[in-house]
Amino acid sequence: MKTKLMEELSEILETSVLSENDKLADFECWDSLTALSIIALASENYSVIISNSDLSKINTVKDLVETITNSK
Amino acid sequence: MEYNVFHSLSNKFILLTGASSGIGRETSILLSKLGAKLLLIDINEIGLLKTIEYCPNETIPLVLDLTDSETLKIKIIDLVKKHGKLDGVAHIAGKPSIVPLKSISQSSATEIFQLNTYSAIDLAKIFVNHNVFSGQSGSIVFISSVYGLVGSSANVAYASSKAALHGITKSLSIELAPKKIRVNCIAPGFIKTEMMANNKDKFNDEYISKLDKMHPLGLGEAIDISYMIAFLLSDLSKWMTGSILSLDGGFTAQ
Repeated sequence: MKTKLMEELSEILETSVLSENDKLADFECWDSLTALSIIALASENYSVIISNSDLSKINTVKDLVETITNSK
Repeated sequence: MEYNVFHSLSNKFILLTGASSGIGRETSILLSKLGAKLLLIDINEIGLLKTIEYCPNETIPLVLDLTDSETLKIKIIDLVKKHGKLDGVAHIAGKPSIVPLKSISQSSATEIFQLNTYSAIDLAKIFVNHNVFSGQSGSIVFISSVYGLVGSSANVAYASSKAALHGITKSLSIELAPKKIRVNCIAPGFIKTEMMANNKDKFNDEYISKLDKMHPLGLGEAIDISYMIAFLLSDLSKWMTGSILSLDGGFTAQ
């Protein structure tokens, strides 16, 4: 599940090399639509609801992956 | 005697979908108060029974997933045999989808189309059946969205599912005119409904404030749409078919 999620996040964050330590806000493509894409990914593919305010508190890819996998 | 401009609804039997909440519930109550007999469909049984509590006239509930087209047909024909033929249909059920292009998939888009679009075709097909339609001044009302008319981000599945309703409306209005069935569609702006409240995780306060400003008359209320549905189902609109009506507080006037 984690590998698949990392692949999906790579696509959304428009990078071929995604590290767990990467900070979401550092990605060039990071904007409200990208944030919304992650919210939609979590909801549609993993049935995990992340609110806008929840996402704003998540800093790194690792935190994001843990939030989604631990909420499953 | 008090003059009621919607008097023609008092003898009609109307099918409504999405009757458990929001615009569907408000419209059910309004039509019932205006004297219509109702066949109310929704997948949410608790919400549907709550709506019926507010309806003063005869109402028949049908708890059903609209995307199950075979069961939909069988159940409606069965109920029509017991309760009489239908005069109108208002397809209000719909599923929102705020998903940017990066996260859209064929399967998630198909799911939106199944409820928002394909079930509209199924309902129209069932309604025109001679065993279902009363044969007199029939009316079909679809509910689309301003986003079937104008663009916005993260809306490709929802917008296309609603824009498709406009094509269906135009096409069916021609096809069904010889049968004296009118087909019209309302394209509402943002309405303060439970559906919107349920999407709070995707809307922040800034976005809600922006939405409000996009409507010169402010966000709408469910009853604003219900009045138009009642008009389109009544004989007051007997010369109207194939129309896409913007009902949006001025959203698309800009």
